[in-house]
Amino acid sequence: MSITWYLCVSAIVFCTGVGGVLTRKNPLVVLLSLELMLNAANLALVAFARAHGNEEGQIFALIVVVVAACEVAVGLGLIVALYRRRLPIDVDELRELQG
Amino acid sequence: MTIHLSILLFWPLALALLGTTIGRRFAPAFGVLGTVVPLLYAILLIADFDSGARGLQYVTDDTWIKTLGIRYKLGVDGLNLWLVALTALLFAAAALWVFLRPVARPRLFTFHLALAETAVLGAFLAQDLALFVLFFDLMLVPFYFLVGQWGAGRREDVVAATYKLIIYTLVGSLLMLAGAVATAVLSADGGTVSFVLSDLAKADLGDSTQRWIFVTFALAFLIKMPTFPFHGWMPDAYRTMPLPALAIFSGVLSKVAAYGFLRIVLPLFPAAAQDYQTLILVLALCSIVYGSAQAFTQTNTRLVLGYSSVAQLGFIVLGIFAFDPEGRGGQGAVLQMVNHGLVVAPLFFIIALLAERAGGSEDIRDMGGLAFRAPVLASLFLIAALATLAMPGSANFAGEFLILLGLFQTKLAMAVIAFSGVAMASVYMLRMYIRTMHNRSGERTMSRELTVGDALVIVPLVLAVLAFALYPQGALSDSEPAVKASIQEVVR
Amino acid sequence: MATFGWLILLCPLVGCVVISLGFTVWPGRTPGWIGTLAIAGSFAASIGALITLQGRGAEERQVVSVAWDYARTSGVDAQLSLLLDPLSIFMALVVSGVSTLIHLYSVSYMGSDRGYTRFFAYLNFFVFSMLLLVLAGNFVVLIVGWAFVGAASYLLISFWYRRTTATRAGIKAFVINVVGDVGLVLGTYFIFKGTGTLDFLQTFHSVGEAFSRNDGDLVAGCIGLLVGAFAKSAQVPLHTWLPDAMEGPTPVSALIHAATMVTAGVYLIARMHPLFEQAPAAADVGAIVGCATLVIAATIGLVVTDLKRVIAYSTMSQIGYMVMAVSSAAYTAGLFHLMTHAFFKALLFMSAGSVIAAMAGNQNLDEMGGFRRAMPFTFACMMIGGLALSGVPPFSGFFSKDDILAFVAARGDWHVVLAVLGFIGSLLTAIYTFRMIFRTFWGEPVEPARVLATTGHVYHAPEHTNPATGEVEDTDVGFPGPDHHIAEHEGSMKLAMGGLSVLAIVGGLLQIPKVTHVLDRFLEPTFADSRFKTLEPSDGLTALGLVTGTVLSLAGIALAYHLWVRRPDAPGSLRAHLSGLHQVFVNKWYFDELINTIVVRPFSWFGRFGRNTFERLVISGLFVGGTSGAVRAGSAAVRAAQSGYLRYYAALLLLGLTALGLYFLLAGS
Repeated sequence: MSITWYLCVSAIVFCTGVGGVLTRKNPLVVLLSLELMLNAANLALVAFARAHGNEEGQIFALIVVVVAACEVAVGLGLIVALYRRRLPIDVDELRELQG
Repeated sequence: MTIHLSILLFWPLALALLGTTIGRRFAPAFGVLGTVVPLLYAILLIADFDSGARGLQYVTDDTWIKTLGIRYKLGVDGLNLWLVALTALLFAAAALWVFLRPVARPRLFTFHLALAETAVLGAFLAQDLALFVLFFDLMLVPFYFLVGQWGAGRREDVVAATYKLIIYTLVGSLLMLAGAVATAVLSADGGTVSFVLSDLAKADLGDSTQRWIFVTFALAFLIKMPTFPFHGWMPDAYRTMPLPALAIFSGVLSKVAAYGFLRIVLPLFPAAAQDYQTLILVLALCSIVYGSAQAFTQTNTRLVLGYSSVAQLGFIVLGIFAFDPEGRGGQGAVLQMVNHGLVVAPLFFIIALLAERAGGSEDIRDMGGLAFRAPVLASLFLIAALATLAMPGSANFAGEFLILLGLFQTKLAMAVIAFSGVAMASVYMLRMYIRTMHNRSGERTMSRELTVGDALVIVPLVLAVLAFALYPQGALSDSEPAVKASIQEVVR
Repeated sequence: MATFGWLILLCPLVGCVVISLGFTVWPGRTPGWIGTLAIAGSFAASIGALITLQGRGAEERQVVSVAWDYARTSGVDAQLSLLLDPLSIFMALVVSGVSTLIHLYSVSYMGSDRGYTRFFAYLNFFVFSMLLLVLAGNFVVLIVGWAFVGAASYLLISFWYRRTTATRAGIKAFVINVVGDVGLVLGTYFIFKGTGTLDFLQTFHSVGEAFSRNDGDLVAGCIGLLVGAFAKSAQVPLHTWLPDAMEGPTPVSALIHAATMVTAGVYLIARMHPLFEQAPAAADVGAIVGCATLVIAATIGLVVTDLKRVIAYSTMSQIGYMVMAVSSAAYTAGLFHLMTHAFFKALLFMSAGSVIAAMAGNQNLDEMGGFRRAMPFTFACMMIGGLALSGVPPFSGFFSKDDILAFVAARGDWHVVLAVLGFIGSLLTAIYTFRMIFRTFWGEPVEPARVLATTGHVYHAPEHTNPATGEVEDTDVGFPGPDHHIAEHEGSMKLAMGGLSVLAIVGGLLQIPKVTHVLDRFLEPTFADSRFKTLEPSDGLTALGLVTGTVLSLAGIALAYHLWVRRPDAPGSLRAHLSGLHQVFVNKWYFDELINTIVVRPFSWFGRFGRNTFERLVISGLFVGGTSGAVRAGSAAVRAAQSGYLRYYAALLLLGLTALGLYFLLAGS
């Protein structure tokens, strides 16, 4: 099977993720979309590794998984902290970084 | 190749850092320790200095950022020797003052003072353009905090003053940074880039290039000094800055800028300096006349001194840009830089004492008759005031005499106008002296003698003024070859 | 020789330092005695220098001694050097001699003043400065001495510093003196430009080669020196500080504003005679201004009602004579008058001080009268001083003033006009001097005089008020307390006044025309290079001068007697007749107003304009406002990008990445 199909799936998943990040207000969904994007990248990495016949791409994919796990941990932690402090669970409301 | 200058340079910062880690009670003591050693070092340097020799002495030269051609090069010659000593002396006095009169958050205050000392010394000692710019900008950091956190007055005034000081002088500094980079790159002309001053002086920049780079440097220096009409940040900053910091700021930081002209601008951009001579001289003359006129209308003692500094720095610029072939103007300017720092610092300390005796007010309208029970204080004040107005017999007079003699030879009319500043100086300084120490006592004044602690700070400074008045020759002999070398680039 | 020179300077300096350092420990009048001793030491050293100098050959009587380099750099030879020659030794003798007597007087006169120690420290510092001025061996040291005496004068004028009139007079004196300093420095520059040296002797030697006659630079330089001389010697138009300087204690007026400092200008012109002879145009300016001053000051002296100010204007007038003399190349005559004037004017001030003390600080002539009986000693001294000042033979002023006028007349040409004006001045001198004496000592005794005559104690004013403003005096500091007034009873005062009386009588014998030539001979080595050294008034001219002088002075005294003793109502009607002229005189020829209008007001307007308008609009508005405005606008633009919306940032990131990707794609293809 040609690599094209893998990449197509990866691109679709990635775009879904981007759309989610850009449009959703709930941080949980944003985080989920982010995971989608990461996994799309993983898919691409693994596909290329296979196509080129070397295993390094898979190592990268594993690292991305680890990073994603960390990110989810931190992200969920933040969301829980927000919930505990009874702050709105809405990324548009959380704009303290505004200049 | 010696390590002495590096020790001199970083000792204050190292000790202050040490002080911050050890309880707040000991921090000021560490500050004093941090300033005394450089002072001793500076005195030894003066004693050991070979005044006849040309070129730098005690040079430290190491690679710092190789790819950019930046070197860690320090050195002493006649231009900066006495200024280094002045810096060390004034910082020691300020540190002692802080030690004797505790301030809020002493650890941080001491640390900022020490950082300022390292920055100023670095700017004086640097023989690499990038290093100079770095230290020149570093000077601003501690003063940002000193004004912002320890500034006197209403909060919003302090904030406004801090912003003015930082933004206005930073704009100048950033222009200078651009100018410095341009100088190095254009001087390299495709070859290896070097920021070392002696390399840059050898390169020959085109006239038009020199001109615009000159403008960036001149702006930075003129703002820093400040000269008319770039003194807008001065009144607010002077009004709010804590006095020990102000004594240093007025005494030393303005000299860094004047020194920059002699060290960097004249050797690097001689053609441009020649072109802009008249413009700069006119600005300096305006500083003298305008600063003096302001100094005798202001009622805040800090501002009287502030505007008098504007006028005095005008004289220094006049001397630097006199460009007489013998270099008398430049010689006078170097002497006058030291003199002005030496007299203005004790005056600021004295203002602190006067304010204590006038119910906290620093306005001359609230003072008067303070000499009554304080003959020693009055005498010290009088000596410093007379030296400030450059009474003949003070070293300030020797400085102004040489400055104006140099200018007289090249620009007679300007010298004659500049003399009006000499006469006006006597008006504003005596006005300040009389309105504070003499006349009827103010309503809330309490005359009392200065304490031993205060004397410990002020008396050595005044003694230094007196010693210098008796024998300015030492500084003049040391600076003669270096000043000549710097001026000759232009006069040639 | 050199040792003596440095000793002359060192004595008062050490005195000043010792007195000031021990200000907390000195008991009673110790500071006064230390000060007097120091000055006496200086006088002794001057005599030592005189003897050694006379022991040398006439050609070797110019000794230069260098202590150390002061500011010797890039071709400027400023060294700390002294020049000892007959002229400087002469001045040192006069200064230290008169100073010793005035110190002696002050020991008791200032006895109960609360600033006793401070007073003597200042006074010793003044003498040091004055001696530095006269012994200076190059321009820089001269300027230093010049400014130091100005500073000392300032300190002593505002000695009673709680009096606002005193501090105002002090700053005025200082500033006008600084104007003089500036003139002096500028003059020095012009001369240095030609000769390339600051040393006196080298300058004098090279002036002939460096400058042609009436060379522009040299004339400018000499005018600069003259400005310095005018400011210090209170010559028109830089004289307005001297009358105000009378705010200081009376011994100060006697020492600084009569005998020594104000004559510095005369000394300067005499010292610089090789320059002035090469620039006759400048010398002429000096002569004319001196002559104008002597007339103007004498006319003001006729109408002033403040006892000390009368003497002050008289001082101005007499210095006018001296300036006229030395500018007309009558050097010895001018210096001779300088010496005799120091004697009799100091004497007059001391006597006036004695009267003022008896009047409890009041200086108004209108409120005085009849002190003859109450203060016989003071009266005698005042008479001797007055006769000498008026130029009555055989008192000292007679010989010195006529010496000047005869020499000036002998110059011929328009100098004759100056001499004639000088004679008119001497008539006026006699009138105002005796107006003052008659109004003080003749007439009905006033209350203080009666108290003093009957009880032997001085009169106590109920409350001290400042005569100028009517303000109640602040007697906390410096100002004499009620027990201050000792009139003339103390020995040291009598000794000082007696000594000066004797000198005022016999001082003239040094230089009797055609008979004695002590000063001529002594000063000859200094003026040997003068172009006019052969100038000598003819016998007939001398005789005419002496006779005219005698007649005029006696006529003046007679007129004064007529006006103020025999017909006390006459001055009033005279005043009514000449009200216009009287107004001009009373308002001191409007010099204060003139200076106010053309210098003081514009400058204070400029200062106010700067502070209230320019600073706000241009400096803060345009420069600071412009800079911070630009920075603020820039930061606002950047800030607008920081919306705080997470997706906004994400979209931006995406956009950037896409752009980057596109770039590589296009660049790659």
